Amino acid sequence: MPMVDSTTSTRQKAIVEAQGVSKQFGDLEVLTDIDFRLSPSEVVCVIGPSGSGKSTLLRCLAFLEPYDHGSVYIDSQLLGYEDSGGKRVRTSEKRVDEVRAPVGMVFQHFHLWPHRTALENVTEALRLVNGLSRREADEEGMAMLEQVGLADRAGHFPESLSGGQKQRVAIARALAMKPRVMFFDEPTSALDPELVGEVLEVMNKLAADGMTMVVVTHEMGFAAKVADRVIFMDQGRVVESGAPDKLFRHPQSERLQQFLNTWRERHID
Amino acid sequence: MFEILLNHYPALAEGLTTTLVVSLSAIALGLVLGVLMAFGLMSRHRLLAWPCGLYRSFWRGTPILLQLLLVYYLLPEVGIEIAPIYAAILTLTLNTAAFQSEIFRSGISHIPVGQIEAARMAGISTWQIRKRIIMPQVFRLTLPPLTNEIITILKNSSLISVIAVTELMRVSEQIASRTFQPLETYLAAALLYLAVNLVLARVSAYLERRMVGGLATE
Repeated sequence: MPMVDSTTSTRQKAIVEAQGVSKQFGDLEVLTDIDFRLSPSEVVCVIGPSGSGKSTLLRCLAFLEPYDHGSVYIDSQLLGYEDSGGKRVRTSEKRVDEVRAPVGMVFQHFHLWPHRTALENVTEALRLVNGLSRREADEEGMAMLEQVGLADRAGHFPESLSGGQKQRVAIARALAMKPRVMFFDEPTSALDPELVGEVLEVMNKLAADGMTMVVVTHEMGFAAKVADRVIFMDQGRVVESGAPDKLFRHPQSERLQQFLNTWRERHID
Repeated sequence: MFEILLNHYPALAEGLTTTLVVSLSAIALGLVLGVLMAFGLMSRHRLLAWPCGLYRSFWRGTPILLQLLLVYYLLPEVGIEIAPIYAAILTLTLNTAAFQSEIFRSGISHIPVGQIEAARMAGISTWQIRKRIIMPQVFRLTLPPLTNEIITILKNSSLISVIAVTELMRVSEQIASRTFQPLETYLAAALLYLAVNLVLARVSAYLERRMVGGLATE
């Protein structure tokens, strides 16, 4: 009788896992051999200079950008590719949708649908994908808007919302699909400074509620406070990663020290 | 001119009705075909994009009068016997589909990719994205050029008189030759075309004003 291997179950199963992921844009290698594991309830912040590949990494993990080499697994299922007679081929769009169903995403530029009200932005997929009736979807959608503090803006079109409100609607839209992991791609980078707080507050709350999150960000304060783990990327590689305390107080690599110094100089004046 | 309108209004009204039926049918059918072809033109699959491009080039690049005659004489050759009015609708449909596909292609390319990515990440399928996210915005964006195209087709429908469809132009010719008042008759016809197109333009302007709420700006 086979023995149950207890060592495998002690190692918590990853929700998202990347193995040796590489990506090129033409001749330019933007990601090189990235390994990444995300456990349930973990909050990981990815930091690094512009062009370091952090957004591309997130987009590859969501298969919005097909990666060239390596593997990305969502819930142990290979994302975007399948084996066909020993050759790796792209899966159908439908299969991609299936595998990444546990993933919700929030973008730098919100990308709300401008012809739909705040509520309709949230309910659209509930109706189209989950097949909810208008009433059920509206109820669910209002609960989501409530969660981001925007129930009173339900009937507004995106053009009449502030950037911070748009981003909160975008978060509600992603949450409506009951994701088990949320990807944030520089969620506050397009916001006026005074609107950053309201979005970070919503994200704080999410993290506190146990949501698994990957956040590409320039908000070091948020990373220091909320992240379980911080990943520092430069030139398409993971240079350093670890607990925020360790990374911010005792950066090992020269590149990270340099990065943090520049950041401090800019934020102390 | 007004005398012609008064004395011949049953015939003129009948002609105008035919003009409207033919043009609006062609516009509506051409819209469906034009939307499908716009996505065809933008397809990554060359086997789809290439024939769509060829189709568009042909129907944009040859005179509509010639297209009418070709369809009218070609159909019987391949064993299809249909009344001239259907041949007319078919030709105008195929013609306007080419122009509309180009209008829609340009509209679609103005929708920010991020909106589509957001929809994808929510699990919405390709066709649902087209139907619910892309096209509603594209119709708003392209309303002015689309109105132009509708007016163009309405005016070009005067050409179908050559394949013996009794629409407004042909009725006018008949009245002119009977009354020996060509100038007055054609002025009356012009007035009717103009009236219809002015109404169309007003409706379009009204819709455009009403739809400012919520359009892509990012």
